[in-house]
Amino acid sequence: MLSSNIKGVTSGFPLRIEAEKVVEKQVELNAAFLKNMFTKIEWKPFVDASRAMGYAELPDEAESSMLESDEFLQKFHHALLELHLEEGALVCPETGRRFLVNKGIPNMLLHEDEV
Amino acid sequence: MNGVNTDASFGVRTPVSDGEYDIQQSVPLSLDKRSSSSTVQSTPEIEKKYVHRVYDAIAPHFSSTRFAKWPKVATFLNTLPLGSLVLDAGCGNGKYLGLNPNCFFIGCDISGPLVKICADRDHEVVIADAVNLPYRTGYGDAAISIAVLHHLSTEDRRKKAIDELVRVVKKGGLVLITVWAVEQEDRSLINKWTPLNPKYVDEWIGPSSPRMRSPSSFTMQSIPEMEENVLREHVHVSGKTLEPAYLTSQEKDHSLAFENGMDVENQQEYFIPWHLPYHRAEVGGASSCALANGLAKKDDKKGAVVYNRYYHVLVSGTASVVVVDRFFDKSNWCIILEKTC
Repeated sequence: MLSSNIKGVTSGFPLRIEAEKVVEKQVELNAAFLKNMFTKIEWKPFVDASRAMGYAELPDEAESSMLESDEFLQKFHHALLELHLEEGALVCPETGRRFLVNKGIPNMLLHEDEV
Repeated sequence: MNGVNTDASFGVRTPVSDGEYDIQQSVPLSLDKRSSSSTVQSTPEIEKKYVHRVYDAIAPHFSSTRFAKWPKVATFLNTLPLGSLVLDAGCGNGKYLGLNPNCFFIGCDISGPLVKICADRDHEVVIADAVNLPYRTGYGDAAISIAVLHHLSTEDRRKKAIDELVRVVKKGGLVLITVWAVEQEDRSLINKWTPLNPKYVDEWIGPSSPRMRSPSSFTMQSIPEMEENVLREHVHVSGKTLEPAYLTSQEKDHSLAFENGMDVENQQEYFIPWHLPYHRAEVGGASSCALANGLAKKDDKKGAVVYNRYYHVLVSGTASVVVVDRFFDKSNWCIILEKTC
């Protein structure tokens, strides 16, 4: 159920995505939410993440004025909310530690020796 | 037993409803030498045994009883700005995820089975620990923690969980925390609670577990209406009834007398059982493992505490939140914080 790299691990962001199985879901577009999320997202990691999930339609750079374009909004929406990592892993950029994703659920629990 | 790594077996007495006591099989207990030096983020044994494993075993049943949505939580969620990102830490069965269709929710819980239930309902969820949230700082627009803090066995962990909630919201973001209160509407329930004596602490958890704490020395002059809190959950079921208990820390100077005449003014820790009906018990097989380990008979869950103490610490200590609202609603203390910097 991971739609994109909007989560960071305690030791680092962004988590690299190892995608084994990606599922596309239909989600209703909410422009207010997308505009809100756009300000939070780091665009480059976001583009990298969607490419890792097999979606290459996003531009390398983006700015908020692009949100006025329906076409851009659709692509952004698709990458953010409709691409779901079903099976795979999120990898910490600092340690290489892999957080597994099973049935769409990432397991972010740390081991005893990691806290 | 001072931090020595040893295997100890205890014969545990389980009170049964007819007043007799059952001697259970011995429960081998490994004492972790590291526990005395563990960090606030590592999970104490008592939580592993009596919170995590219990919830894993009872997840579907628990979920089926979590249907009533507290109006105050609903109000909080429904008044958030359009398009808000809401983080629910300790989301349980996902009761509040998606409650406001104009917001986007990400839920997390430490219980895999409960998180799975949320995922099956198409929510965005993660398995994570409330004491160590896997979200970037300042990312959320709002965060909620509904009846979660009581599962954390030490004050430091509870404070860390609150710190985490504040950390993950943006500046100006709101945090809603609710905890169970001792002023239960049904006073007769309190009489069913058995305080946990040091003897039981040793028997049921191990010497490394949190001890009874003495009453806090600080008073809540500025908030006279807030009283000490006890968090507890209770469920009744067919079959054997265990003596329920709860965990609490009491600051206020009033005593609750129990049926056995004990004065609980200084009582700090208790167990609360969750009774799993037998027809539900074999879902997932977790219960049979629990029975084999001798833990199932004591399906106890911890209730924790000291909500007002955290409030005090937050306001005076961190100075990065302000209390926007606080209220008592249906046996729950609720607080809304706003992150100011």
